[in-house]
Amino acid sequence: MNRIEQRLATCKQKGEKAFITYMTAGLPSIEGTIEIIKAQAEAGIDVIELGIPFSDPTADGPVIQAASYESICNGTNLRKVFDLVEEVRKTCQVPIVFMMYFNTIAHYGTERFVDKCIEVGVDGLIIPDLPMEEQFQMEEYLKKEGAPVMMQLVAPVSADRIPVILENARGFVYCVSNMGVTGQGGTFHKDVKSYLESVKSVSKVPVMMGFGIRTAKDVENLKDTIDGCIVGSYFINLMKENNYDLDVIKEYIRTFKKELNA
Amino acid sequence: MKNKKYGEYGGQYVAESLMNTLKEVEEAFHDAIKDPAFIEEYNYYLREYVGRETPLYFAEKLSKKYGTKIYLKREDLNHTGAHKINNVIGQILLAKRMGKTKIIAETGAGQHGVATATGAALFNMECTVFMGKEDMERQELNVFRMELLGAKVECVTSGSNTLKDATNEAIRTWAKMAEDTFYIIGSAVGPHPYPEMVKEFQKIISVEAKKQILEKEGRLPDSVIACVGGGSNSIGMFAEFIEEKEVELIGVEAAGKGIETGEHAAAMALGEPGVLHGMRSYLLQDEDGNVQLAHSISAGLDYPGVGPEHAWLKDSGRATYVSVTDDEAMDALKELCREEGIIPAIESAHALAYALKIARERNEDQIMIINLSGRGDKDVHTIASYFSGKGYQN
Repeated sequence: MNRIEQRLATCKQKGEKAFITYMTAGLPSIEGTIEIIKAQAEAGIDVIELGIPFSDPTADGPVIQAASYESICNGTNLRKVFDLVEEVRKTCQVPIVFMMYFNTIAHYGTERFVDKCIEVGVDGLIIPDLPMEEQFQMEEYLKKEGAPVMMQLVAPVSADRIPVILENARGFVYCVSNMGVTGQGGTFHKDVKSYLESVKSVSKVPVMMGFGIRTAKDVENLKDTIDGCIVGSYFINLMKENNYDLDVIKEYIRTFKKELNA
Repeated sequence: MKNKKYGEYGGQYVAESLMNTLKEVEEAFHDAIKDPAFIEEYNYYLREYVGRETPLYFAEKLSKKYGTKIYLKREDLNHTGAHKINNVIGQILLAKRMGKTKIIAETGAGQHGVATATGAALFNMECTVFMGKEDMERQELNVFRMELLGAKVECVTSGSNTLKDATNEAIRTWAKMAEDTFYIIGSAVGPHPYPEMVKEFQKIISVEAKKQILEKEGRLPDSVIACVGGGSNSIGMFAEFIEEKEVELIGVEAAGKGIETGEHAAAMALGEPGVLHGMRSYLLQDEDGNVQLAHSISAGLDYPGVGPEHAWLKDSGRATYVSVTDDEAMDALKELCREEGIIPAIESAHALAYALKIARERNEDQIMIINLSGRGDKDVHTIASYFSGKGYQN
């Protein structure tokens, strides 16, 4: 069974909400990323979203743009991130999702990319510039045994697209909490609650909310509607401000997970 | 659910939050161009405000010098100085029809930004233009023009601080504000239906040129030549000739300091297909699939991608794409000044340079049309510093 699906099924059994973080691979370095992944796993993170840096991240706000740029300047590329996952998998089985833009995959070669994901143990993909209408180019390869699952994204304006997008969804559905880009700290779309409810009512997979979340308090009023949440920009800032201190990272994850399930 | 428009090129590689917006734009666009009242209004503003039709000028001295018939389609005589306004009028009328009150645009050299700011003033729209910090510095005068026309110029300081980054920022802002905001893309790029829309609103160039050449010569031209950055003036110049198989279509990209130096903007010469700004097309990229910076003395050609229909025209063999260097373009620019008394935009000088390269092989009965997409007034600083040997700031 896919690691993400397994982990989220366990959360459900325990009656727990899941917590997912996003970090850009290669920060502060490839080795540093490996340590952070392991520290997060130890602190009880449910899924890790690992960002593959791209030169033109149009779905990201300033924090992740800057992180992406810094990582590219450090020499991070897809090949090195595959090596990183391979290294992590020797000792750690935390579910890992690649968050990346489609050109990085197309350039590497779609089939070769999927094969490599299977080989090193990448469990899922989030591709913000590959909407439902464009996903056919990956479908065939994602049917392979052990292939990563494609996470579907929905937005507050997706409306009648939601049931269609979710028809064959696997892993979890990523509900974008607001219009626009990542990292708009604490502000959600005005109709966020009814939108999340409409997703929840048709989704066969866990519903995760992301964009603009900082602490568990931000989702206090929405907790009943979602199965978990995703933090990216705030987590990156926190790590940077604390010089990637592993204890701070672990503490943040433990606290978030505890408060989310309080 | 395949969404391919031009063979394997085109598509809609955007965030989910824009998909319904694109559908809305597509439906409104197709509805509008079938509505005679909309077309009439568009033509009214092109005639009365932009100053169309533009002449198809027989370049007498150049024709004599090279021994073949050379015609120039004078898009440089449009209001605001280039072909960009044709598309802006079309898209802004569409925005108005859709009930949008705000418009945003990206600009590199500032020509599309100025055209958009002009249209926004005319139609009472709140206008924000995204421009890279570096472009704002080297095109200071156009920044002033846009502000004078009442637009807000948003300085973009991400990535390379140029057109590609301004486009990224416009896409991000659009995703946030699509409910009341219309994004006017200036080139034949972006997610579907934008490349189709830009072609529709630029095809007036070849509709006129075809009619004019038939009046003057009684036959179609042998060759039609236009410069290609993102590809808006060239797709407009090609549009009506694509089905006329005997007409040779030539697109001229910017070879910058030379293709071999790596400092160029010829996406189709060396580029491989890639995905940027919502479309799949030819794209300059590095070994990791990150987008590479383009280089050209012409800010308007300084773009790492190209419109998807051009990629398709290239692969199908219907059009030929070539490139000329900065130096070749500047020589041609000077020649047009001296021979015909016309200062062309540096972009347009690229088309001219290639045309003059092949003109000597043509006979006196053969006809070529060169699209003179813009005037060179905006470029005088760049031209001056180039000819004084100081190089240029690209």
